[in-house]
Amino acid sequence: MASVRLRGIRKTYGDNPVIKGIDLDIEDGRFVVFVGPSGCGKSTLLRMIAGLEDITDGTLELGGIVSNTVEPSRRGIAMVFQSYALYPHMTVAENMGFALKLAKVPRPEIAQRVRHAAEILQIAHLLDRKPKALSGGQRQRVAIGRAIVRKPEVFLFDEPLSNLDAALRAQTRVELARLHKELKATMIYVTHDQVEAMTLGEEIVVFNAGRIEQAGTPLELYERPANLFVAGFLGSPRMNAFPATLAGHAGGLAAVRVPGGGLVQVAADASLAGSGAALTLGVRSEHLRLDAGLDAGGIPGRLALVEYLGDVTLAYVQVEGVDGMVAAKCPPDVPLPSPGSVVRLRFDPARAWLFDAQGAALPALRDAVRLTG
Amino acid sequence: MNRSGSFWTVAGAACAIMLVVLWAFPLLWALSTSLRPELETVSSQFHWLPQAWTLEAYRKTLGAGNVVRWLFNSFVVALLVTVVTMAISLMAAYAFSQLRFRGRGIVFGVAMLGFLLPFEALLVPLFRTMHQLGLVNSYAGIVLPQVVAPVVIYVFKQFFDAIPADFREAAVMDGAGPLRVLWSVYLPISGNIVWAMAIVTFIAAWNNFLWPFIIVTSNDMMTIPLGLTQTYDAFGVRYAQLMAAALLGALPVALAYVLFQRRVTQGFLAASGLKG
Repeated sequence: MASVRLRGIRKTYGDNPVIKGIDLDIEDGRFVVFVGPSGCGKSTLLRMIAGLEDITDGTLELGGIVSNTVEPSRRGIAMVFQSYALYPHMTVAENMGFALKLAKVPRPEIAQRVRHAAEILQIAHLLDRKPKALSGGQRQRVAIGRAIVRKPEVFLFDEPLSNLDAALRAQTRVELARLHKELKATMIYVTHDQVEAMTLGEEIVVFNAGRIEQAGTPLELYERPANLFVAGFLGSPRMNAFPATLAGHAGGLAAVRVPGGGLVQVAADASLAGSGAALTLGVRSEHLRLDAGLDAGGIPGRLALVEYLGDVTLAYVQVEGVDGMVAAKCPPDVPLPSPGSVVRLRFDPARAWLFDAQGAALPALRDAVRLTG
Repeated sequence: MNRSGSFWTVAGAACAIMLVVLWAFPLLWALSTSLRPELETVSSQFHWLPQAWTLEAYRKTLGAGNVVRWLFNSFVVALLVTVVTMAISLMAAYAFSQLRFRGRGIVFGVAMLGFLLPFEALLVPLFRTMHQLGLVNSYAGIVLPQVVAPVVIYVFKQFFDAIPADFREAAVMDGAGPLRVLWSVYLPISGNIVWAMAIVTFIAAWNNFLWPFIIVTSNDMMTIPLGLTQTYDAFGVRYAQLMAAALLGALPVALAYVLFQRRVTQGFLAASGLKG
């Protein structure tokens, strides 16, 4: 297996920069997920690693060897395409063995490796079929099988689950995780689905507009987002953002004025921001509590809509000064006020984030709050 | 179906039958003429069918002149033109469609300029070139000027443009170079349109009269359309033999079309986007 090292990677199409300087180290055997909105450059970067796109500037090292100009087939990389790209005129076995045939591997060895990969993926009974006779899930397995038989050092996945239905996606996610454990290969996986990113990745790299916003473990990114973009991108519903003004700070807590005029406390280091600084308060929907708006405190709003999802109830609240609705996840067994009622949104100061005017997160001081609190 | 719809269906069918009769009449008349004794073909009395059925015209046609040799020449020329045209056009179309290189658009534009040049305008320079190369009265001389087919390149390019690039990229990742990608992936995927263009090219090359007429002077190197004029000259106005020779000349092409009709139709449907 091999590590992947990117240094100052750039890509421009004409005068249009698409990748604007990427530095990234992917350790040998890691499962790394590139995630970001459409057009952020994650797939382009994957294709540059694969050798399907030229690298305008920077250095790509695979297994310690500079590979910028190495032929795609000689990089020790296999790629699973979003469309699967199974050759329609070949059987499953021929599809899986095509790369080995081109590499002039003896036929018995091709047959043995194809069968082995097919058994891992439980598609041995499909080897004589043509792709058109397969379901979406089966095609997806064949595409993975085609990658496995090559015994690559790095697997690249370009949104391989996006054509599957929700149930099959969930099942295949589990199988991919199992496959990674079994093969112990370096895997780079591109998706715009944050659930896939959170569940599959040992490490997540969040892209935006050709740059890396943040890289880290799923929990790190969820718990300590570096900026408002990452905070909003990971988590469903997305993190709620309230306009806020810094009123003061003391003892590891920042006091901010929120819509409705109330003061709330957040466990964040706001010492570098001046009093009166415009900030954004971020609170995830699962950390918001909702109660009837009789008492003071919290953020006042009007309950607009309630969605009962079975395991959880989503309450959508209109808050003055906030674009869109604020979402709060509530336990399903707790009765909620009727839509139209005035409610107050409350949260634990250790479960909220503050972002400066540029969107950068202020250092969280949750541990300090927990120790003192 | 209502009464009005039924009327139009019947009227449409009647029109179609009339067109078929109009189209088929010359062929059937040629067949009828070729099966008559020579004397009957110039008789003042009109008969739809031969009064005396005979294969004499076919026997004389095959026995006299050089018809078998001309048929052989036509076959060799049409086959070579088809194979070389397909090879050149497929490679050119793949390059224009899938490869990125400087000046691609200009080169493609130049290739398509061939649409604007009538073949007749090139006859003299082509003949001079072939003469200088010593290719007059040779298969190479007959074949080479016929293998440049901008329309075939254009059709293939349009078809390749519609094939998802993922196939090429997957093959490249698998270790295939451009020729291997074309041969192992694009060609099989494009099977029907390749067959369709091959048949059309074969028929066009088989029926081509003008260029062989210019480049061939030897009786032994003539193709069948050219040879038919010799039959006419040799026997005077011998309609039965002329029709027999014409039918014999058209027979292989008709057979080829009948054999591959389904692939040709599927190919054109696929190329037109009516059916993928």
